[in-house]
Amino acid sequence: MSQTNLFFMTLTTGLMVGGIYALVALGWVIIYKCSGVLNLAMGELTIIGAYVTLTFYQMGVPFVLAVVISLIIGLVLGILTERVFLDRLIGEPILTVIMVTVGLSFFFRGLVEFIWGTNTRVFQPPVFPLKPVKIGFLVIGSVYLWSFVTAIVLLLILVAFFQYTRWGLAMQATADDEMAAISLGVSARFVYAAAWAIAFMAAGVGGSLLGNINGLNISVSYLGLLVLPAVVLGGLNSIPGAIVGGLAIGILQNFAGAYLDQYFPGGVKQIFPFVFMVVFLLFKPYGLWGWERIERV
Amino acid sequence: MAKGFLPCGTYHQDYKHDHAWWQTKFVKGKMILLAIILFIVIPRMDPYWVGIANMIGYTILGALGVDLLIGFTGQITLGHAAFIAVGAYTSTLLILEFPWPQVFHYLGIAYPISIIVGAVVAGLWSVLFGLPSAKVKGFYLILTTMAAQFVTVDFIITQYVAKIGGRGQAFSLPPGTIKIGPWIVDNPTKVYYLMIVLVLLCIGMVANLLRTKPGRAWMAIRDNDIAAETLGINIVVYKLLSFFVAGFIGGIAGAFWISNLAAISPEHFPWSWSLWLVGVILIGGTGSIHGTIFGSMFMVLVMEFLQMGILPLADVYPQLLEKFLFVKESTFGLAICAFLIFEPNGLSYRWWQIKNYFNLWPFSY
Repeated sequence: MSQTNLFFMTLTTGLMVGGIYALVALGWVIIYKCSGVLNLAMGELTIIGAYVTLTFYQMGVPFVLAVVISLIIGLVLGILTERVFLDRLIGEPILTVIMVTVGLSFFFRGLVEFIWGTNTRVFQPPVFPLKPVKIGFLVIGSVYLWSFVTAIVLLLILVAFFQYTRWGLAMQATADDEMAAISLGVSARFVYAAAWAIAFMAAGVGGSLLGNINGLNISVSYLGLLVLPAVVLGGLNSIPGAIVGGLAIGILQNFAGAYLDQYFPGGVKQIFPFVFMVVFLLFKPYGLWGWERIERV
Repeated sequence: MAKGFLPCGTYHQDYKHDHAWWQTKFVKGKMILLAIILFIVIPRMDPYWVGIANMIGYTILGALGVDLLIGFTGQITLGHAAFIAVGAYTSTLLILEFPWPQVFHYLGIAYPISIIVGAVVAGLWSVLFGLPSAKVKGFYLILTTMAAQFVTVDFIITQYVAKIGGRGQAFSLPPGTIKIGPWIVDNPTKVYYLMIVLVLLCIGMVANLLRTKPGRAWMAIRDNDIAAETLGINIVVYKLLSFFVAGFIGGIAGAFWISNLAAISPEHFPWSWSLWLVGVILIGGTGSIHGTIFGSMFMVLVMEFLQMGILPLADVYPQLLEKFLFVKESTFGLAICAFLIFEPNGLSYRWWQIKNYFNLWPFSY
């Protein structure tokens, strides 16, 4: 394979995976914007959705229907999680809220391992055709292509939801100014629950797609954690930032795998997003489009 | 948390009395009793329970550094296992690979030296990842400490350090290599004595630091870093000092723990261990040394009792036993959530209330 070819292959693969990260990152940013919760359980939300989809798919349900079922379960779980755990923590210090999500991540992880075990499972029979797709001189695995298309379609649906529907506008209003939104008759509790439900659903779809690429085991939750560099890159409270950040992390990760691996053998692909994030934070502490907070004593 | 109240009818009459560690005869008596329990009663218990005491000691050493960062300096860290791992690996490598003169091994000072070197290296490593704290804080700082975990344990140690000497993934420590002076540390009781000395030293160090200028500076930074800066505190230096001390204690924890393990491998220091340590101090109560101790005891003992409770059930439902680890994880997660929601001040706050109740009795107003 020639050098340019490798470059473009890496770029497209990164972009495709990045689409999935962008979807999950969007879910994260929605929670943060609407309720101010910094959610470290995103990885676990990802695998819960993935395992639910897989279970139904193994039972013979078509893939699309399985994803829809996992969306419904994600909706219920999201509302439950918000009501049971996070509703009581509004206004508590940042560490408390973060650690509750850490507690949740332990809880969900234990639950997932208890129910589904730790062995790697694959979608059998494969959902997407194994034959790669050729576009011009690029050869792309069809899993990647279809995942990317699905992720982009869902991203567009979510953005449209925020721009044009009543609920989406209510959520935007709450994110912008909670007090003003409440005084205009928006139910803040409804918005929080909706934010968690959306995050659960987005993460679930993202997880199902990631599970299709490499098979599904508990370490897929690590891929869910990669949304953290993505959202930091874009700025914590920016929806376009989350999308750009997700795509950028996908591309960076694949470039690190393709070019840096020969100098630093081992898992450079896994940790490079985090290293990049630390260095990036030293220069732009609020990400690309995050709000700079001016502090006064 | 404020100091407890003095018992009814006791007053300070000079500064010396006010600054004393143990202010009443009753407290002195309690401490003597505690010393008797720690040094005489526990080592004579069943080795199984001594092993659990060692686990508690290791958790205390690990959580002490986390508490220093989170509870006293306000720098949230989710990557402390990385510094424990650095301490453990530095110490192991020094023992196994460093060309010590034979007399060092013979006299048994290789291990004590390696503990100190491991602690210093872990402290410096911690400062390296604390550097972003000069510029970022809050959630962004949490992410850089997470990066410390992934970069250190999952990459540098797993891919490079663990391959030094071509031993494969796990470094096994041959019996007799962990030697302090003439004593070979090879059974739980000896590990226990080593542990108790280290724990007391570290607690004494932290408790004393908190009464001096750095300690007051840390607490000022925790309460409001901008106000602290206007008061003339160099917040970058003190934040980094806090990272150094926390990493130093983490390094001691790691270097100590190798005496209890036949072999060390990167799997002993996963990210969940970092989170576990933060959970321990939250359950115990942040910003309190008592809290660190109570939290460690609570978590280790609850997990032990959970295991005992589940063992009989295993006859009925055998899968429960092999999946116990996952039950443990879930329980821990729920415990953190429950504590944060229902008892956000932690166990040490309860302890403080109970103590004050008795101190103020019968005039509690």
